[in-house]
Amino acid sequence: MTMHKAKSKTMLAGLIAAAASFCYAAHLHAQDWSYAEAAKPYAGTTIRVLDEITPLQETMRKLVPDFVEKTGIQVEYELLSHGDVINRGQADLFSGRGHYDAIMLHGLQLGPLLAAKVLQPIDELQKNTALTNPELGLDDLIEPAYESLVNHSGQQFGFLTWNYNQIYWARADLLNHPEEQAAFQTRYGYPLAPAETMQQMRDIAEFFTRKKGETLAGETLRDDFYGIVLEGIPGGTTFTTVWEVFMNNWGGGVFDADGKPRLDTPENIAALQFWADLWKFAPPGQAEYSLIDVPTVMGNGLAAQSIAFSDFVLGVDRPGGGAYAGKFVYGGIPVNAENPAIRSAGGEPSLMALSSHSKNQEATYLFMQWMVDKDTQARLMEAGGGGVPIRHSSFDLDVMREASRQSLYKAMAASLQHVQAKPKTPSFFEIDNTMGPLVQQVGIGRLTAAEALKEGQRKVLSICDSCLLTE
Amino acid sequence: MRPLENRWYPYALLAPAFLVLVVVSLVPFLFAMYLSFHQINFGRIGDFAGWSNYSRLMENERTWNSLWVAAKFILIAFPLQFILGLGGALLLNKRVWGRSVILPLLFIPTMMAPIVVGLVWKVMFAGSWGLLSYNIVERFGFLQGTSVFSSPDFALLALALVDVWQWTPFMMLAFFAGLQALPVSPYRAAAVDGATPMQMFFRLTLPLMAPLMVVIGMLRFIDAFKVFDTIYTLTAGGPGISTEVPSLLAYRMSFEQWRIGESAAFAVLVWIGFFVLCSLFYHLAKKKLNAF
Repeated sequence: MTMHKAKSKTMLAGLIAAAASFCYAAHLHAQDWSYAEAAKPYAGTTIRVLDEITPLQETMRKLVPDFVEKTGIQVEYELLSHGDVINRGQADLFSGRGHYDAIMLHGLQLGPLLAAKVLQPIDELQKNTALTNPELGLDDLIEPAYESLVNHSGQQFGFLTWNYNQIYWARADLLNHPEEQAAFQTRYGYPLAPAETMQQMRDIAEFFTRKKGETLAGETLRDDFYGIVLEGIPGGTTFTTVWEVFMNNWGGGVFDADGKPRLDTPENIAALQFWADLWKFAPPGQAEYSLIDVPTVMGNGLAAQSIAFSDFVLGVDRPGGGAYAGKFVYGGIPVNAENPAIRSAGGEPSLMALSSHSKNQEATYLFMQWMVDKDTQARLMEAGGGGVPIRHSSFDLDVMREASRQSLYKAMAASLQHVQAKPKTPSFFEIDNTMGPLVQQVGIGRLTAAEALKEGQRKVLSICDSCLLTE
Repeated sequence: MRPLENRWYPYALLAPAFLVLVVVSLVPFLFAMYLSFHQINFGRIGDFAGWSNYSRLMENERTWNSLWVAAKFILIAFPLQFILGLGGALLLNKRVWGRSVILPLLFIPTMMAPIVVGLVWKVMFAGSWGLLSYNIVERFGFLQGTSVFSSPDFALLALALVDVWQWTPFMMLAFFAGLQALPVSPYRAAAVDGATPMQMFFRLTLPLMAPLMVVIGMLRFIDAFKVFDTIYTLTAGGPGISTEVPSLLAYRMSFEQWRIGESAAFAVLVWIGFFVLCSLFYHLAKKKLNAF
């Protein structure tokens, strides 16, 4: 018994010693590892990186010289517009030209690109201890966006690099106006405040839709004023907004668990009808509005509320951003009061993906890591005077606690809890091109929701009957 | 010059232009034809596909819709451009006051890149914030609850008018140049015979201008069919697909959906359609109008 105890003690001591030495070694490795050291074999290499142009990437561009200086790896960091980065990036990948080593991809692009096998998984590179920053802290990246974006078939294709998300955006000066509050309370029986439910958003939209000559916040309107503005162009992100913000929150969606299209369900019909009913309170030109026009309309004070991409808000609600800067309030995507258990928010988590045609994979991988590094992200937020975090820890930075933007960052954090990457379907663009015009016609009253979704179901079934990329 | 050299000389002169045409036009067309008969998987050429790309294209209702939209677009824009262009040219030919100022100004819309034209008109007619939308269309309630480019009834008409704005000056200048080159003697003879201005226009001007009108008309017709940039900028093919023309559909098939085989088949069919149409037009114009 005593011998057995002694043996156990010896084994325990051995285990502790082994664990301690492992931890020490890991600590030493973490201490030793640096971008400069890891990049030594690749110094002088030039990598070409294609990214999208938004204020976020323009800020990142200012930081890139630090990476170059630190590593000796030359980076040609090219920024193109949303459409161009998709078209040129995909053309480069599909054609096998390999001009770019890494390309920014929106989650929606992954289906076709993974199907074409033109993306390089990074698993092997991650296993390389000389290349991988042991303190990268990937558990800090925001979920569920990260996991749903980068993984497929047991492989990882990059890191969550940009975290576009949609938020609820409203005019605080109107919602806080005492006369408006009293009138709203009388009419709807509950206090006027930023919408927490879709139904409240609809009431607020109805309440603030006024004709010229009527009074708004104590002033006579010289022009019509609208209760809401949403994206309505047949392309862009109109359909994905309907899908993620409305259909999903009504318990619907585009695909069933097996990846079959399931568009004409009662849930989707109700959601699409709800979205289309909001058009009654929207500017007459909404069918022309893209995701860029929506913030323009809000920034010009033509509408009371919206659902918009938060990175665009950064350009409007800033000093010098227009007459209404500082007069806004934000929230997460409102919940459907009829189905509060289901939460979904619109967004477009995006990654920097390694081209399988790249001849500089190690150097590019280092740059990809550096972009999402905790330190780089902190500097990105500071240099941009805020931003759209990909890391939980970014929300704790001083710059993100700035009082004037608290509401915006809280809204982003609330939305990001529910933002997922799009399901990976090789036919995404065909489906989107089919459904965009159909839902728009519901918005302008040319089709009923049931008609549009029945037609959509028929058309999408003709594109694919099992639409998701198989493992 | 010796006879042999003489025989080859014209061909030698034509060769550079012909070579350029072959490289920039014939080779891509033959390649498009090749692609149209193959399965193209995300830009990679696969197996021979027979007529499957063509049959899928024919079964796609958006193909037929786009052709119908293009037909309507041409039917609205082309006659307006032609009539306004000819009318303007006749006016300019009358030595109107300020002609030397007007003529260079007429070049401006034609010289503008179509994408810029699209942006200019977006600024004019964008729903709720466009200069004309805000100050006229919505202020005076011309369109209730919709905007110019959001309305399925007006969007195509507005796009055709944008095309008229851009290309009428070109027609005007071309016709004006033609009028300036007309011989004077038939008009003198007609005047001596006591012909009225209307008689002179229908019996002299129109027949003499016919060859030019046919060429300019044909060029404009083909060009109007290919319209892309302004529509892409102003409506993106909407509302719904009511302004989706073949160029826009082909662009979406190629660069958004990567259905290269089908879009190549579309290009080939459009080429064949135009080849047949232009040949017929050419022979008719040659026979009936003595245009070529």
